[in-house]
Amino acid sequence: MTNINGKAYAMNAVTPMKAWKTPILRLLFFLLGVFKSRQKGLIDLSFIHFARWVIVKNNQFPRLAPEQPEEQLHYDYLLFFSNFNGTWNEYIDAFSAVLSSGLDLIWRWSEKFPGAVPVTAFKRYISLVQFDTDYYYTAYPYATTNDVKAAIRVDDALQEFANDSPRLTPEQFQQAYLDLLVKVQADIGALGPAPMGT
Amino acid sequence: MANQNGKMYGLTILSPIIDDPKIKVSHDSALRMFLQNMPRHSHSPFANVSGTHICRLVVMDDVVFVGSPAKEEHLKSKYLVFNSNLYGGLDAYLEEMAGKIPDVVDNIWSHCVGYPGAADPKAFAAYMKKCQIETTFFFADVNDKTVEQTLRALQTKVEFTAFIEQNQGRSPAQLQREFAAFWERVRRLPLPPAGARELGTGQAAGA
Amino acid sequence: MPKLNLFDIQGFVARGYTFPCASYLLVEILDHQAGREFVRRVTGRVTNAEPWDNKPPSTLNIGFTWKGLRKLGLPDATLLSFPDEFYQGMRARNRILGDIGRNGPENWEPVWKEDIHVWLAVYAESAQELARRCDEMKRFMQETGGARLLYTQPAAAVRIDGEPTTKEHFGYTDGFGNPDYEGVERDTIPGQGKLTPDGKWAPLATGEFILGYPDEARELPACPVPYLLGINGTYMAYRKLHQNVASFREYLAEKGKQYHGGADKLAAKFVGRWQDGTPLELSPDRADPKLVQDQSRNTNFVYGQDPGGARCPIGSHIRRANPRDAFGFNGELVNRRRIMRRGMPYGEYTPEDQPARDQDDHGIVFMSLGASLFRQFEFVQQQWISYGNDARLGSDKDLLVGCHSDGRDKFVVQGTADPGNMPFICGGLPDFVELRGGEYFFLPSLTALRLIADGAVDPR
Repeated sequence: MTNINGKAYAMNAVTPMKAWKTPILRLLFFLLGVFKSRQKGLIDLSFIHFARWVIVKNNQFPRLAPEQPEEQLHYDYLLFFSNFNGTWNEYIDAFSAVLSSGLDLIWRWSEKFPGAVPVTAFKRYISLVQFDTDYYYTAYPYATTNDVKAAIRVDDALQEFANDSPRLTPEQFQQAYLDLLVKVQADIGALGPAPMGT
Repeated sequence: MANQNGKMYGLTILSPIIDDPKIKVSHDSALRMFLQNMPRHSHSPFANVSGTHICRLVVMDDVVFVGSPAKEEHLKSKYLVFNSNLYGGLDAYLEEMAGKIPDVVDNIWSHCVGYPGAADPKAFAAYMKKCQIETTFFFADVNDKTVEQTLRALQTKVEFTAFIEQNQGRSPAQLQREFAAFWERVRRLPLPPAGARELGTGQAAGA
Repeated sequence: MPKLNLFDIQGFVARGYTFPCASYLLVEILDHQAGREFVRRVTGRVTNAEPWDNKPPSTLNIGFTWKGLRKLGLPDATLLSFPDEFYQGMRARNRILGDIGRNGPENWEPVWKEDIHVWLAVYAESAQELARRCDEMKRFMQETGGARLLYTQPAAAVRIDGEPTTKEHFGYTDGFGNPDYEGVERDTIPGQGKLTPDGKWAPLATGEFILGYPDEARELPACPVPYLLGINGTYMAYRKLHQNVASFREYLAEKGKQYHGGADKLAAKFVGRWQDGTPLELSPDRADPKLVQDQSRNTNFVYGQDPGGARCPIGSHIRRANPRDAFGFNGELVNRRRIMRRGMPYGEYTPEDQPARDQDDHGIVFMSLGASLFRQFEFVQQQWISYGNDARLGSDKDLLVGCHSDGRDKFVVQGTADPGNMPFICGGLPDFVELRGGEYFFLPSLTALRLIADGAVDPR
């Protein structure tokens, strides 16, 4: 199943948009980039390594030679690429449950989008517009984005501790080590296999 | 710059696939077969392209008809989507692709219109930029670590977790000695290979 | 929201019975015609959910596997409209559920290799009444020739000093925290429902637990066709969990000596409640019998003030099974993952001062009800019990019921720099619980039972 590599799932989706709606969506993405607090929900869900939206205007499909026919499209297209952890169902259920207004804001401009709530029609639409990955590479298939962030926190804390600790007496060391444990205690889950993708 | 998020660059490439009615096996089929058989995990060619955190290749056959009242329409060409989440600058990355994995690059992009070959990395980079679409919005949960830094951090986390468990309840002096030895050892561990299916436990599994 | 049709919903579905003993009968249907006659007889005696003026001396309820519905001659279109997981059955889904190694189906009791079609549940006030009802069922089987008893699973409340308790075999008081949902005529218990934006508790949508009513996603849950077959019904996951009491007591004693808080506190950290039921989140330092007795408080807590797990460990059993607000978003990620439990212990209780043996035959019959096995029970089992990423615990598993394959799993007790509550790791976890068998059942409404008995299921 080439959409999955270890704990990461590669989702691709393409949806048509009437050309006059495209500038509205661009503006919304611009604002999302400027007002970083609006991204909080996405960050708190902590499922996604990287995700991107790519608007391709109807005349923007690359044409590299005259013998390549020119595209003659009515709609602009919104491409969506996500690298997420968890199963397809868990991912969509979570987004539908807590980020539906954000999803609606992005996809309402796409033709026949039913809304992110209720979830059944939403999943049916995603199945319609999703297309499968042919080759998926990740440098760390065994790590979810939570694992990566935990690792960075542990690594940083350990570096700091290792720099300071040689100069300490054993008692001071023990205290500093305890403080270190308290710092990293929620970041030391095992790095093992993920459940089946059902 | 919408392609950029911190130190991460969201590269989106759409390369039109050659449509040749005269050949036996179409370019998109041949491309799909090649991708299906391309080595995976630590043997993946992309493990050698150092800035690559996560990337994918997708043959996009057509746009989708979502149903009336939307209109039905079709792409005149198929496109190869190459989507990479890379650390660092674009030119260096593209030139590294052509320099480090030219055969694989040839095998993939020779099926695409206007591909100049991988022999000249700068020409390859220019070609890819002609196929580049600007990423409209790029989300990156972690946007400031190289692949190497990420792999090291994961390795350190696993090693230190084992250390904590193994040294619970030690006297302060003993703990300090054990930690010094641990830190010496961990710093000298070889970097885990990029793309590997498992991290491997190094010496943590031992007593 | 419409009132629940309590005359039509089975009693076992709508409420947790409190009887001291029970028997679960696993039954094979022999023939579709005679089988339907058997179902008709049973349906005449099934307990529904109407409130009792006088508590009956016993109750009877029934459920079917997919194979059972097929054996009874339901039409193909109906059979195909049931969810995948119900069709496949628990055995075939073992890798999804993490039931591998010692918990794998190859190690289950022999009856689970047979085609189980029907589940009958008898609860009773006394052993005699229990025997009487079970005999009645056997009589129906014989007289109709439509069914054969494959296995009887007895169950009973753990008795301490002769009195039935709500404890299970490891010594924990059980039965807290079952979800509240709309339409049930009892007072909601704070902490059992879902969180509202202003931090109060409200009942969950009925459709999370009973088909035919709107659910938390604001639609009607997927239902088999015809609709009449599905509404007022629900699905059940049934699992016989053997408990290794010796291993548990030894492990707790050993780690309890190393843990600065002592064994009692460590036992509380494993689960998230002291053994008497006091929630750690509300009382991190001691058990509190008054708190346990107070229904307005004993499950009324959230984890928002304890993100680091210093009071109630992030990986403790109740925090894994029901994270409440621990994942943010005011608990909304959890509302569709609630499970309605109906468990009952089985086997002889080994008193605390008596030596225990792992091979002693005791454990818990675990039953979980909900409108979607896949979204509720299977999800919690797969993602929150057998894995830990959502809680940011990597692939650490639940200490109590997780399958600890190679003895390298661990449980982290988070703490503070205070010497009375330091972080502590419990490594080398053994398997405290072993799965001896299980299956998925559909528990239809009384109307649906009559349709099945009449052979009148029409998928239009």
